[in-house]
Amino acid sequence: MSSTMLMVRWGLALAILAPLCSVVLVGARVLLRRAPVREGWVMRVVNSGLMASIAAVVAVTAGFLGIGGDAVRGDIEFGDWLRIGDFRIPAVLLVDRISVTIALFAAVLTALVARFSRTYLHKEPGFTRFFTLIGVFATGTQLVALAGALELFFAGWELIGISSAFFIGFFHERDEPVRSSVRAFATYRFSDAGLLIATVATFELLGSARFSAMSGAAALPMVQSTAIALLFLLSAMGKSAQLPFSGWLPRAMEGPTPSSALFYGAVSIHAGLFLLLRVWPMLETSVIARTMSVVVGLSTALYAAAVVRVHTDAKGALAHATLAQVGLILAEIGMGWTTLALAHLVCHALLRLGQYLKAPNMIHDSHRLGHVHRHPTWLDRLSPSLSARVYAASLHRLRLDDFIDRLLAPLMGFARLLDRADRSWRRVCSADAPQVPGTDASSTSSAS
Amino acid sequence: MSTSVPHGHAHGSSSQQADDPVARALAAAHGILPDQGPIGVFIHHNTLHAFQHLPFHEGVQAGAAALGAKPYLNLREFRAALSAGRVAASDVRVEIDRELGARGSEPVLAHLTRAELWQLLTITEADSDDAAALAYLIQEGVAPVGEDPALWDACLTRTSHGPRLVPPDTRSLQRHRDVLAALGLPDTDIAVHGELIRLASGFLDQGQAQVTAPYREQGFLNAVAQTYGVGAAPPRACRGVDDAMRTVAATHESARSVIDRMLALLGVTGAAIEPFLVATALALPGWSGMFARLERHPEEHPSGTPVSLEDFLAVRLLFEWHAVQQQCAQAGLPHEWAALQSRTPLPPARPALLDARLLWEIARAAQLTAADVRALSPEALGALWHECSTCSGMERRQLFQEAYERAYRTVILDAMASRRALPAETPSAERPRGQFVFCIDEREESIRRALEEQHPGYITYGTAGFFGVAIDYMGLDDHTPAAHCPVVVTPAHEVHERPVYTALGTHALRARARERWLGWERRAAVASRTLTGGAGLSFLLGPLSGLKTLARVAAPRSSLEWGQRLVSRLAPVPATRVSAFRVSDSARMDVGEKPVGFSLDESIDRVTAVLTNLGLVRDFAPIVVFLGHGSTSLNNPHESAHDCGACGGRRGGANARVFADMANRPDVRDGVRQRGITIPADTWFIGALHDTANDSVRYYDLETLPTALADAFQEVYGALELARRDDAQERCRRFDDAPLSISAEGALRHVEARSSHLAQPRPEYGHCTNAICIVGRRTLTRGLHLDRRAFLVSYDPTIDQDDKVLERILAAVGPVGAGISLEYYFSSVDNETFGCGTKLPHNVTGLIGVMNGHQSDLRTGLPRQMVEIHEPMRLLLIVDATPEALLTVAGRQAEVAELVVKQWIQLVSVHPETGAMQLFQDGGFVPYEPQPMLLPVVERSPEWHMQSRGHLAPALVRRALPFAAVGPGHHQPA
Repeated sequence: MSSTMLMVRWGLALAILAPLCSVVLVGARVLLRRAPVREGWVMRVVNSGLMASIAAVVAVTAGFLGIGGDAVRGDIEFGDWLRIGDFRIPAVLLVDRISVTIALFAAVLTALVARFSRTYLHKEPGFTRFFTLIGVFATGTQLVALAGALELFFAGWELIGISSAFFIGFFHERDEPVRSSVRAFATYRFSDAGLLIATVATFELLGSARFSAMSGAAALPMVQSTAIALLFLLSAMGKSAQLPFSGWLPRAMEGPTPSSALFYGAVSIHAGLFLLLRVWPMLETSVIARTMSVVVGLSTALYAAAVVRVHTDAKGALAHATLAQVGLILAEIGMGWTTLALAHLVCHALLRLGQYLKAPNMIHDSHRLGHVHRHPTWLDRLSPSLSARVYAASLHRLRLDDFIDRLLAPLMGFARLLDRADRSWRRVCSADAPQVPGTDASSTSSAS
Repeated sequence: MSTSVPHGHAHGSSSQQADDPVARALAAAHGILPDQGPIGVFIHHNTLHAFQHLPFHEGVQAGAAALGAKPYLNLREFRAALSAGRVAASDVRVEIDRELGARGSEPVLAHLTRAELWQLLTITEADSDDAAALAYLIQEGVAPVGEDPALWDACLTRTSHGPRLVPPDTRSLQRHRDVLAALGLPDTDIAVHGELIRLASGFLDQGQAQVTAPYREQGFLNAVAQTYGVGAAPPRACRGVDDAMRTVAATHESARSVIDRMLALLGVTGAAIEPFLVATALALPGWSGMFARLERHPEEHPSGTPVSLEDFLAVRLLFEWHAVQQQCAQAGLPHEWAALQSRTPLPPARPALLDARLLWEIARAAQLTAADVRALSPEALGALWHECSTCSGMERRQLFQEAYERAYRTVILDAMASRRALPAETPSAERPRGQFVFCIDEREESIRRALEEQHPGYITYGTAGFFGVAIDYMGLDDHTPAAHCPVVVTPAHEVHERPVYTALGTHALRARARERWLGWERRAAVASRTLTGGAGLSFLLGPLSGLKTLARVAAPRSSLEWGQRLVSRLAPVPATRVSAFRVSDSARMDVGEKPVGFSLDESIDRVTAVLTNLGLVRDFAPIVVFLGHGSTSLNNPHESAHDCGACGGRRGGANARVFADMANRPDVRDGVRQRGITIPADTWFIGALHDTANDSVRYYDLETLPTALADAFQEVYGALELARRDDAQERCRRFDDAPLSISAEGALRHVEARSSHLAQPRPEYGHCTNAICIVGRRTLTRGLHLDRRAFLVSYDPTIDQDDKVLERILAAVGPVGAGISLEYYFSSVDNETFGCGTKLPHNVTGLIGVMNGHQSDLRTGLPRQMVEIHEPMRLLLIVDATPEALLTVAGRQAEVAELVVKQWIQLVSVHPETGAMQLFQDGGFVPYEPQPMLLPVVERSPEWHMQSRGHLAPALVRRALPFAAVGPGHHQPA
């Protein structure tokens, strides 16, 4: 094995495992010892994980570029992740233009936000939780960026989703963050089903879920490749808050500002786009799926651009401004301009990160910049009542949440039915079991 | 709240109000709602100002009840202070005795007096409300009741039959939603508030969104109704509201008529109307409060849109009615208020375990045996329970609050008495080396002490930081003039900062470049949010912006410095002067326009008044520096709350500069001399600005300093350079992320980094920890380490013949000091309700305030990061004046009298000649006998304060003591 190869292998493993180790270490410390954890210690552990991850990705990049030896590209095997009889899921990572770009980009931004948060969250009760979640997120993004097959990709995807939901509900003492967190989580769960089904289908039809095997999609019947491509698109739409799943994005602003910046300005919101770039060979074969991408992307872009005009809060406006660009990039992917899309994605994330982190400066800035004079638009002049209607529709965000709720109402009803059945079944089962101590009159009355 | 109705603001004539419940409710709501304007200018005020006409305890309890807040710290927090030694059990006992008087010594049981019972209830956990925890402890066998199992058995059996302790029902169920929530149904406010917040923030927006809300010139109700009129979809939880809105729009129904109609539909009638409407207005206090505030202060809302609370309530009720109706219909409940109210579930019963525990503790204290307990008659037990409910949870916290304040007051007054006992200062023949006039702000106490430690000839003074010049000031880069004076004053003069003649050329160039740059920046800020602009700017600026963010986060201090250096190299700021002086009165002026600059007579008046207030009427030093103050921080919507309160939440540098400019004019000095104050020709005044966040000092107009005084200034400058480092060091001990071993130089760099860090939620602690206000000569306090907790106001009673100066000072300082201290009090006792909670999820909205996350109520008050180390106490105002003088002033100043008589501040008179102390309590002055104490003595302050991060007791700083006391032979034992 060449020394470059060795470097790349170690780099890949470390990029993913270093942040994961820091999470395990902090978690173990919290669980095993009574004394409260010191901020400085948590920060040092998580920061070392993030820094090691950056160094590892730099090494991989060097290997990819062929610095100090032959360039290493393509699938890198790490044995089997899972083996049941003949059935095996390989642990395979991929080194190519896209994976290296995104891995480097995500690692640096995460470390930057961690540095910011060290000051921002100082003395906050959730300090340890915050940094543990940053570690989970870093592991997830590196997995997603470097995965060579859909199975590992899915694992990373879920880590991003769960850390996102926990960040939204970070201030769980209040109701609103918890409600918003549940909504985001439910949207993720729904759309992630697309990715899961598509993964299984790809595995079945192509014999492997490797990205390098995706080019075999051209040989699949049209119906099959279109169905799979649409499932990938569904999953991307949920993660990247495309219509009609856009409702959770403004609610995601409940979290602390740096996490909003990292997730919804920079990295997580673009993950759906990254998925489509990864499975591009599959998407390429299906005109229907590509047309759908363009339609969904453009309509989301128009919707978000309309909403941003009426938004009066700093973070909500930024969320929709971000969404508009994400929609555009989705359309670019649908058109097949993948290189443009990748460049757009990276540049856009960098621009928004700065804007999010400076969102609380709004009042200071407005004092410095002076008043922005607002002129009537062409729509105001053409038809004031139509303009008012557009205003109202944008303000209410097309009542997307209500729309989703109505769709989900029967499902929720069914879930409640199951829950009731479950409860009564449990009652029947435990009818003759002795009373659990402590659940006397006093505790039941305080619970009600 | 039944007996204590707050002062409403004038809202319609009172005779009309008397028989109109809706008008009464609106007036009451105007009083109770948070009175905080748009956040760009933050003014500290008594959060419960509407209850200020009531005695303190009555007022805070009524106000807190109305807002659903805590009026005091929790008993748990007070008991933690007790075990930390911050307050002693004896302090609590003194307050109980004061409260009960003779009734305290009456026995409630054979071996237990009433006062002893109250003491037991207050300082111990005897009466807990956590049954689950108690049950757990008993199960684990570690509960205290295990010490005497026989007695515990007796208590359990005795409480199982016979009278029980019934706590008052503290639930506040005043609206349909409250009853629905108590019944466990979904909260109708979620949908209503979501709707209201979006509509209101669009309506009140002061320039954050790119488009204005349609029809907003017609007022909130009409704008909302019209918007629905052209076809907006209703929210799912309020079906039918769109039709109702359309009807309102079509018939041009007035807000009042809508309110009446909705009340009728909701079945709220007669006496129920007023409390219902007040509760409705208070359900989203931040937003309703902003409507109410802007209705009273239309000048704070530049767009000229008509804003009224009535409109807001009408819209609210329209949504609320539809939501309630829908919810009640679904749940099969009536929506008439009286009928729905009758469905209110009973409050959960108090678990018997808690009664038994309380009885056990009382029995132990009263030396009752198990048999005695079993034999307690129902009457005796009932009487005992009655006694316990008289000393309610609220009563206990009130007693604790008094004790908490007493403990601190005792320490301070004793320290001041000990300071006074030092050998008196003999007047020095030597001329002072430098005089420094600061704002009264308690944050300046440390830098004053640091100066005084350097040389006995450095004298410091404190006066309200606008230095007697109330102006509308427009700086070189400002777009409009802004008032730099206390909020109660409306300036009659404008002052502009203008480039000097020789810099006009560079100024013009810079102004053009600046205007163009800002134009670009404005356009880019808007464009980056549009579809095409966002795409273009991503490619153009994305990578650059990424690098900038990296630099700003990784190296906040140096990256900001480099940026500023670059800008000042490219476009140097021209030398400027302020137009403090009006050359002639004949200058053309349009009606309503204010004169620019002060006339000669006006200047003489102001200089004389300020110098007299200070007691600086002779022995002038060669250099007298006036230092205004302000604060610099980034990413901080509450930045203005750190600026100078006496300058209306702005920076006081301009005022200091204008004052110095006036006082340096020979003709002004002539006029001042005719009024009896001779300023020597070799004295020069210098205006400066002290930044309380990064501890920088900026001097103005040094070009005009006479060359003969250059050396004198150089020395003073050197002293301030050292002092600001000491100040930074003293501040750093409060910041957990700066080591206690930090050097003065390192501390300066640390605070500079704090103030330039984008992620810093605590650029400084502001007024946090403020506790005392001392009005008097500096000799009372010079050399005392007061831990940055004291407002220090210069006042010399020996030159104040008819108490006119005292009156002027107290009229200004009393309300301002009380405002600051009470705002901090409330924001720290209940940070979620009176304050605005943690800063981290704050989201600036409409340029008027902050919300939590994506949509919430407007958060008013102070954030947790600003109050986390505060000790909530009423301001301890100590005045170097006789009780008679104070009573005279109180007779002339109604607002001061109200604060004192109703006990919203604690007033202590220190007799100017004898030093005898008298505390104003229960309607009159009572003598206070200080206990002699040995003050700890340190050579320099850092030896005292760099030991720990907590609050410090006063100490004597030897170096800072004036001439006589520093001589040999007066060493105080440590």
